[in-house]
Parts: sequence; structure tokens; C-alpha cells
Amino acid sequence: MNFSPLPIVASTLANAAGIGWTQVRASMRNGVSGLRRNDFEPAAGLATWIGRVEGIERCPLPGSWAHFDCRNHRLALLALEQDGFASAVAGACRRHGRDRVGVFMGTSTSGILATELAFRAGERAALTPDFYRYRHSMYAVTEFVRTVLDTHGVAATVSTACSSSAKVFAQAARAIAAGVCDAAVVGGVDSLALSTLYGFNALALLSHEPCRPFDADRDGISIGEAAGFALLERSREAPVDLLGYGESCDAHHMSSPHPEGAGAAAAMRAALDCAALVPDDIDYINLHGTASRANDTTEDLAVASIFTRRSLAGSTKGWTGHALGAAGITEALVCAMALEDGWIPGTLNCRNVDPQIRSHIALEPSNLAPRHALSNSFGFGGNNCSLVLGRAP
Amino acid sequence: MTPLRIAGVGVCASGMPTWAAARAILRGESPWQPTEPGKIDVPLLPVTERRRTNQVSRYAISAAVEAIADFPQARVPELASVFAAADGDGQVLASMLQALADDAASMSPTLFHNSVFNAPAGYWSIASRSRGASITVSAGEASFAAGLLEAAIEVSTGSRAVLLVAADLPFPPELASFGVTGEAFACALLLLGEGSDGTHGTIEVSLRANAAAVSDAEDRVSVAAHFAGNSAAAALPLLACVARATAAASSLPYLDDGCVEIAYRP
Repeated sequence: MNFSPLPIVASTLANAAGIGWTQVRASMRNGVSGLRRNDFEPAAGLATWIGRVEGIERCPLPGSWAHFDCRNHRLALLALEQDGFASAVAGACRRHGRDRVGVFMGTSTSGILATELAFRAGERAALTPDFYRYRHSMYAVTEFVRTVLDTHGVAATVSTACSSSAKVFAQAARAIAAGVCDAAVVGGVDSLALSTLYGFNALALLSHEPCRPFDADRDGISIGEAAGFALLERSREAPVDLLGYGESCDAHHMSSPHPEGAGAAAAMRAALDCAALVPDDIDYINLHGTASRANDTTEDLAVASIFTRRSLAGSTKGWTGHALGAAGITEALVCAMALEDGWIPGTLNCRNVDPQIRSHIALEPSNLAPRHALSNSFGFGGNNCSLVLGRAP
Repeated sequence: MTPLRIAGVGVCASGMPTWAAARAILRGESPWQPTEPGKIDVPLLPVTERRRTNQVSRYAISAAVEAIADFPQARVPELASVFAAADGDGQVLASMLQALADDAASMSPTLFHNSVFNAPAGYWSIASRSRGASITVSAGEASFAAGLLEAAIEVSTGSRAVLLVAADLPFPPELASFGVTGEAFACALLLLGEGSDGTHGTIEVSLRANAAAVSDAEDRVSVAAHFAGNSAAAALPLLACVARATAAASSLPYLDDGCVEIAYRP
């Protein structure tokens, strides 16, 4: 089936680089990292750097949503309240009907922190079926977003680890193409949790300094937290369109990428085919670029097997950290910003590009106004997703 | 949406270790008896991965292997998959929570990578060497309905073959207060688009807002009571239609007051 460009009619985000577009744009433009020395109290023993969103602890959910209260949903609401996003969704509901607006949310750990803290404190009595359903379960974040936005259409949580909130774009595009809905909210929310911080520690993947994607001396990832949302709506006009997507699996290992990046390359090729573009059409590649040794090396092999040095490539995790299940949408929205504003971000914290890297890493920002951008997201289980976005003609 | 040809069925559940066993029970030819959840072998996996695999992945892979038994091996590397679950692996969750409470810094890396919700899909792709697109969806009690809808949407928008796998397990005693109950259940359906041969019949799937699910099909599946609380077992009424090879309309409860309607013909 030919893919019709799908307009991104509204968006919003909250991450370590800022809450809402005004703050995030300023941080990106000014090269200001949102990373800080780990001060996330329940895991403060870990000597690493994190991308923490300021003030979540002070924003409990209002009374009618109190049963949903957890760090993940506070972060979701913080983003939903920015950039006029909720009223844009209300507009789509008026145009199409609430049951014709879908919600597809990516997350890797949902509200697991709430359970982790209760378990650790020996407060097992708190762990009721409602606690599980509304705060911890995989569907909780989607149920919360549907409740806040009052949509009644098709919905699901997607949980494919760090590709989750890239996959939601593909899922929503298909649902709209199949006529199951006319518009869709896609998003991703993942918040700091003990299991992810200590889990990546167990894999020896945490950086001891602010993460340095593609640097010769990179030593691992900085875990971040983020929420991001986009409204996709057919037959509308917007500055940026989703032009295509590509999905694949490595079929190699649960937590290590394929050594030649074969799965990653397959996802990028599929995304180009879906968008009916050739590699040299892509002006900017937002790399998954976690700053782990293995990710950056194998992702580069995959990128260099497809693209020439005409395409500028960079990782923006130096601003946000790796937001896991929310990384896909965060970086798709960075691409949308680059396309709309007419500039390409550099790769913050990368000082000396690893000499093994063959892709054209953008160290500094560039005023080359991109027309087409590609965003990569790769997750555990070898799950890969690439998105192609374009400036509207 | 495009009708879906059912080209393969797999089941791995308490008291129903295979589709053949499930089929006999759903046809009323043999009684259902619960089985102790032993270690299910997954011979397709490399030895190191086989040792590490978690229990819900074993159930899911076992059902998936059965569903693609007649599918051309040459097409498996491109086969797309949709995994659906409400809860994932409660034993892995309980072990991880205990490790975080006891001595977080010595948590096992295998435990962590097994804790991702898409672990069954990841192990499946390693076992089958399938590099096709794979999504894992969750929608609470409506998780199977959401997975079936996603598979139908994928076929309607160009996928020629999609493997749908639904798997959930009851949570262990440490997490009993969460109330995730029901006997272990996993099933898999190999779904093809138009022009293909569906040896197990054809279904048409549609989403209906503001239309409550009809329950008469479910009432005829008495075994479903043992699996109450397991989202994957919402497949039982559809599997009963396939087992009996009789045309039937059924529907699955969806979110809010909606339902997913399924028209089956043998």
C-alpha cells in the first residue's frame, strides 16, 4: 500500500532539556544539556549522570485522577498541559467524534517505580488490584491519557523497549489508513525507575559522565525520563508530515545489537521504501546514538551501509539522556523541530568522533535547512524502528 | 477490513499443551484438567538463550511454533508478528522487585533483559530467525482484542502474513495482591491476507464503538471459567469456533463500551 503523508498537526514534550517547546527549543539552540549528576534519591548510590525532569515530585495529580498518581503519569500530564496540545486534540474530537480519535502510547516500564518503592518499603498492603491497574500495568499510561483527553477510539500501549514510541507512529498510520480512526494521539512516557537504573548498571552500560554519543571515549548511556505527544490527523495541513516508517527485528540477542547492524539497516531501508525516497534525499539522521560502545558502533555500520556523507547524522541524547520507551517520540519531535525551524542540531558532548565511525557525524549545529529527516530507535529484544519525516511541500 | 485467513493455530495452556488437545476440549470430546506449570522446552532456541528464557516466553514460543508448522520455512524470516499481553511475566517482576529491595547493585543482567515486556517477541525472533516487523501491544483485559485488531489492520494495510501471539500467566504468590489470576494461557494464530489459503477458516474483524459484546459464544465455552482474569484466554470463544468449524459471529469486549466483532466462517 502506498503511504500518504500524514500531517503532524500538534505536538508537545517534556524532558530534561525542558518542559514544553519553548524551553526545549532554547536548550537545543543554545547547546545546553539537561543532564545532571545522579541525584534521584532512591538510586542515588549509582555514580552516573541522568536526565531528570525538574519538579515532578511537587506535582501530584488532581483529585479526580488521584488513583492514577505516579511519577510516570505526572510526567505525562506535565507534557499534556504544554503547547496547547489538549485543545488541539479536543479540536480533532469535534471534527471526527471522540470514538474516531485513537491513542497509541509507548512505554517500557509504565509506572513500575510506584511498585518498586512500595515493595522496598515493605508496604505490600498498598499493592491492590487498582494500584496495579491504574499505576503499574502496561496499559495504565494509555488509560490515563485517554482519560485526560477524553477520547474513546482505538487504543493500545506499545511496549517494545526503546523502540516503543517510534512504533506508535507506524501503528497509528496503519490504523488511520485502514479506516479504524481518523486521527490519533501518539506518545511515549517513561520515567526514572530503580529497575532501569540498576538494570543498565547490571549490564555495565551506565556512563560515569554526561553521555558522549559517538565520541572515541564514550563510556555508556545517561538514563533520562521524558514524555512526548503528537497528533496525527488525515486531510489536514501541518508544517511537518510523517512520510514513512520501517520496522525489523535483529533475531540475534536480547540485549546486544546485531554486530553488523543488519536489523537496524533493514529498518532504515524499509522506512526509505515506505516514504518512496532514496538515501541521498535524507538531510538529517537523528541517530539512536545511546553512547554505549556497541550501539554507536553497530548503528554506524548500518548507517554507513546505506547513506553517503551527504546526510548529516547526530544524536541528541546529550541533551535529554536516553529516555528508553519515550526516546522514539522525543527524537521524532526533534526531527520535526529541525524540519520546521530549518537547522540541524549537533551532537552535544561528542568532542572527538571515534575514528572507527564512518557516518558524517554533525558535531556542531548547521543551518542547512533539512527537507527530509530520519529517526532511529532500537530496543531490547532486537526491536528496530525508523521513521521518515518531511517538511510539508 | 480485509478478511483474515487462519492458516495455523497453536495453543500452550494449562490442561491444553497443544492445539490438538485444546481442540478436543473445545469440541467437548475430552474434559479439561489443570496441569502443573512445568518447564516448557523451546528446542528452537540456541542453548544459551534456552537456559535464560523466562516462562511466559516459553508458553508464547511453544504456541507460535505450532501455529507456523505448515508455513513455508522460506517465508519465516520475513514473517511479521503481533504479541499481545496484559501483564507479562509476573515471576520475573517479583524476582526483580525482590532483588531491588534486597541488594539492587547486584541485580542480574539476565533478569533485567527478561523483564522487558517484549521478551517473548525477542526470544521468538531469535528462535525463528524472523526479522520481520514485530509489535507488542497491551490493553488490559482487552489485550487480545487489541492484538487481533492490530493484526487485522496490518493485513489490511499490506502485510501478507502476520503471526498473532497472545500469552499471559497468573502472578506468583509474592504479587498475589495485584489480583492477576487465571490459569496460564498462550495461543497463536497465523493470519494471511486475501488470496491465501486459510485451512482453519476465515475471520472478519471490526471495531464497534458503543456496542456491548455479546456473550453467547463465551457461554458455550465452559472451560473459559478456569482462565478468567487471563487476557490471552479471551481468544477461547474464537478458538472454539475454529475447533467446531461452524460459522459464528462473536464479539470481544473492548475498551469503554465498545467491542471487537468477529465473523467466523470455516
